[in-house]
Formats: sequence, structure tokens, C-alpha cells
Amino acid sequence: MDFVEKRLTERAKRGDREAFAELVEIYKDKIFQLAYRMVGNRQDAEDIAQETFLRVYANLHTYDASYKFSTWIYRIATNLCIDRGRKKRPDFSLDEEVEPGQGLDWYSRLSSSERTPEDKVVTQELQQTVQDALSHLQPKYRSIMILRYIEDLSLQEISDIVKLPITTIKTRIHRGREALRSKLRLM
Amino acid sequence: MECREMVVLIHECLDGETDELANQSLLNHMKTCSSCRQHMHELQRVIVFVQSASHIHVSPDFTARVLAKLPAPTKKNLFSSWLRNHPFLTAAAVFFVLMAGSLSANWFDRNDILQVSSANMDKLKIDRERNVVVVPAGTSIDGDLVVRNGDVEVQGEVRGNVVAIEGKVFVASTAQVVGNTESIEAIVDWIWYEVKNIGNDLLPIMR
Repeated sequence: MDFVEKRLTERAKRGDREAFAELVEIYKDKIFQLAYRMVGNRQDAEDIAQETFLRVYANLHTYDASYKFSTWIYRIATNLCIDRGRKKRPDFSLDEEVEPGQGLDWYSRLSSSERTPEDKVVTQELQQTVQDALSHLQPKYRSIMILRYIEDLSLQEISDIVKLPITTIKTRIHRGREALRSKLRLM
Repeated sequence: MECREMVVLIHECLDGETDELANQSLLNHMKTCSSCRQHMHELQRVIVFVQSASHIHVSPDFTARVLAKLPAPTKKNLFSSWLRNHPFLTAAAVFFVLMAGSLSANWFDRNDILQVSSANMDKLKIDRERNVVVVPAGTSIDGDLVVRNGDVEVQGEVRGNVVAIEGKVFVASTAQVVGNTESIEAIVDWIWYEVKNIGNDLLPIMR
């Protein structure tokens, strides 16, 4: 797996779009998942995922192949999620045109109200509870809980991604677990 | 041990960082302490709870949308990807450029002095005034005769090619030339001559 990724990143670095497309295919769901759990809605999550890949493409020449590619891309995505939370998104009207002169308003960009199969499952309520509970965590705890338990990464990998010592990661996971524990008790 | 210390141990245990000894003391403690048992249980529930977040998928046209937003490939990238896709043509082009370069360098480097190369220099007559190399009648020369910056007049016999670079070859009616006679006056001829030479040198090897 690592070998395949190395080949792909090398090819993408040289401007090979097909290789880049394969990298997108490998990581799109993981990155979208992370973004969705961070921001809580599909539209923003897709925007963040898209921005992540565009940044990856623009900065491929700075990617150091001695690190895992996954570490690098998770770092970009995590930073984007946290930045997005920091600055309140400017308000805009759905009636505004997406790009002037194209006749498309923002309604066309809304995800359809039809539920995706995942959403239809009976556990939908539980899903909403998970999302609510996560959204009550501070972003710095939320991101680490998501990386640990949803993306299923090791403490070492998380430490590499957020560039913090492993002891700090542990502390945040402990606090995250405790915070969710008291949250669940109330529910 | 106090429960407060035990909570730290519980978290370490959940991170898989405890050794056998610590696990044992934790288990022993939980046998007697219901609040710690409860705590551990609740934390385990938290983990299962977060993990139960179902895996959602991005919309199917996501990759296409990302690719559409990439900056257009630069001319340089297009060129280099073309080179990568056609390695043989690239090698041929590089070879051709180097070849032409070295041959034309040879062409331009020469001076105007009459140069003769032959295996039998002693049998040749060199007429400096007319700038002509003469193969006198009745003599025979083995191998090729190559003259630069002058004409060649063949009256006798040459068992090989006669080549005049920047000059002309005059063949008398008495002359016998086993090989070809050639005069080379332009750079294109020169390159063609060199390429032919290389080809001729290679052919016996390939046979």
C-alpha cells in the first residue's frame, strides 16, 4: 500500500493527473469523513475535502516523501477544518448567483434532500446523537477523537499529523473521553 | 490505591499502554470498587459510541469535480509528459541533435590547408600551385584516398574510394577507381558522407 502510494505521489509530483486522481480516489472518503464529523454537514464537509485535495495538488512539490502521505493529507484536512470553525463563515443569500452571469444560484448547490442509503438506516437517531456529542467538544479534542476512533489511527500517527507530542495526544484523548462520558450520562 | 489514580490507569488501559502488572491491579481494584467499574464501563461505551458513527461516503462525482478545479497543465508539463510517453522518439531526437552538432562542428573547425590521407602517400604527386593531388598514370594506390581543400586528379589506379572534400574529383580516361568517387562541397553532403561512413563501419559488425 505504502509502495503504491509512493509511486502515485511521485507521478503526481511530475504533473501526472491520472496518478493524482487515484490518490483522490483512495483518500476522498477518509477526508470527507473527517470533515463531516468536524463540521457536521455534507456541504461544508465536501467543500473542505475539495479544498484539501486542491491544496495537496498545489503543494505536492513540498511534500517530503519520508513522511507517510496519509499523515500529510490528514494534517492539511485537520487544519482546514479547524480554520473553518475559527472564522465564522460570511453570511450569504441562497438567491445569489454562484458565479455572476452563469444563472446558477446557491440552491443548485444544496445537496438534495433525498437521504443517502447510509442515512436511511434505522440507527439514524443514534448517528445524530454521535454528531451532537462530538459537536459539543472543543475542536482540538474533537479532531483527535475523530482521528482516533473514526479514522482508526494510532497515537503515533495522530501525533505526527497534529505535530504535538504523544503525551499531549493522550491527555486530549483522556479529556475527550471524559467529556463525552458526562455528555452521554445526560442523554 | 486511590480511585483518582485508578482513573489514570483506566485511561492508559483503554489506550493499550498498560503492562500485565497494572492490568492486574486495575482488575483487583474494580472487583471491590463499583464506581471505578462503572467509570470504566462508561468510557468503553463512549468509545463504542464514537466508533458507531457510520461511515459516510462523499458524492460520486467528487473526484471529477476536484480534477476540473485543478489549474490547467502548463506547456512545460505537457511537453515533458509527451517526452515520457515517447521515450524512443526522444532518444532518437537527442541522438540526431548531438550527431548533427558534432558533425557540423567538424565542418566549421576545418582550415584551408590542403590535407591528404592515403595509405600510399609516396606515390601521390601534390601540385601545390593548382591545389591538386594527382594520382599519376601507371601507379596504383591501395585503400581510400581522401583529400581536403583541394581537387583530385586520378590518372592511375585507386583500389578504394576517392573523396574530395571542398574540391572536385577529376577522373582521366586511363584511370581505374575500384570504389566510388565523391566530391563534397556543402555541409549537407558532408553530414551525409559522415553518416554513410558510420553506416558502412557498422554494417560489417552487424553482419
